[in-house]
Amino acid sequence: MTIDNLFIAVLTGLTILTMLMMIRVFKGPTVYDRLNGLAVIGTNVILILTVSGFISGRVEMYVDIAITYAILGFIGLVVIAKYLEGEGNGKG
Amino acid sequence: MKILAVFLILAGFFFTVVAAIGVLRLPDFYTRLHASGKADTLGIALTLVGLGIYNGFSLVSVKIIIIAVLIMLANPIGTHVLARAAYRSGVKPWTHKGES
Amino acid sequence: MKSNGDQKIKEKGAELLQFILLTMILFGFWLIMSGMWQVKFLVVGFAASLVIAWVTRPLLRIPSQTVPNKNYLAFNLPYLKLLAYVPWLLWEIIKANIDVVKLVLDPKMPISPAIITFEKSMSNPIAHVFLANSITLTPGTVTVDLKDGIYHVHAITEQAARSLVPAEGEGDMSKRVADLFNEKPANSGKGSAV
Repeated sequence: MTIDNLFIAVLTGLTILTMLMMIRVFKGPTVYDRLNGLAVIGTNVILILTVSGFISGRVEMYVDIAITYAILGFIGLVVIAKYLEGEGNGKG
Repeated sequence: MKILAVFLILAGFFFTVVAAIGVLRLPDFYTRLHASGKADTLGIALTLVGLGIYNGFSLVSVKIIIIAVLIMLANPIGTHVLARAAYRSGVKPWTHKGES
Repeated sequence: MKSNGDQKIKEKGAELLQFILLTMILFGFWLIMSGMWQVKFLVVGFAASLVIAWVTRPLLRIPSQTVPNKNYLAFNLPYLKLLAYVPWLLWEIIKANIDVVKLVLDPKMPISPAIITFEKSMSNPIAHVFLANSITLTPGTVTVDLKDGIYHVHAITEQAARSLVPAEGEGDMSKRVADLFNEKPANSGKGSAV
């Protein structure tokens, strides 16, 4: 097994995990469950970006995108959580 | 060196899978935070470190390690912000007695 | 207690040190991100890091939680002690993950969640940040709320709750963090299950 096959396997697995996480995002009883699912998707996407960079052989570009995605995703999560703080009991 | 990298990538992938299963399977919001806040953080960090080792020493590896450190710092903060927002809005934790 | 003037000079010095440190960190980050070594890029990067470090000075001055009129600096960390603390924390994180794996993959799912509160009064807000983050990363506990030194922690099993807040004395982790920041072990560690 060459290392490229490993990368493709990991990439496929991560994509399936991201799809599964969409179940939580659509189902989640409270709005915080949805946000939590989105946070997990965000971290998975960072990994997907880096691994696909290794597959396509242009890591240096994909890594820059991954850094930007990590920082923006974190700031977005914090802002949305702050915005929702103390808004009823979160049903919806 | 390559074997260590492959081992780290596989271990990190395993923890990511466990985090996803935990988020889908556990009964309420706070317990799901345990899965996403711990297993996901370690999974991503291990996989990124493995990729960095596989790439060898270069600027790209340094960037990958920076992402890993950033996630190690930012993920607990994100988890805590979410938990606090839910707690202050009155989301009740699940218990064996309540069964709700 | 020293005279007021001495204190002022000491704070000024610490602030200058933090300014230089922050500029160097930002410039290093610029170098890694850009990866170009021509002089014009270096000059632009250095100027940008200087301006950012200067503008964010008031944001990094954090007032103390217990002592009035005393400020702490965000980057004024005990770096040498951190070298010993971080490996211990990493080991705890690995243990925590094995715990989570066991819980999630167990078909019966043996959990008994509860929210516990305990108080830990520390003067330095950065110490609170460290303790809250460490609690989140270690076995079976997530910090839910933190206000004025009162922690609300969600524990997933009773064992995790007991390891954080033992029946007598205080937990291992809060002791270590207090040690890290030279905080006096005053009236703290009184925990109660809710």
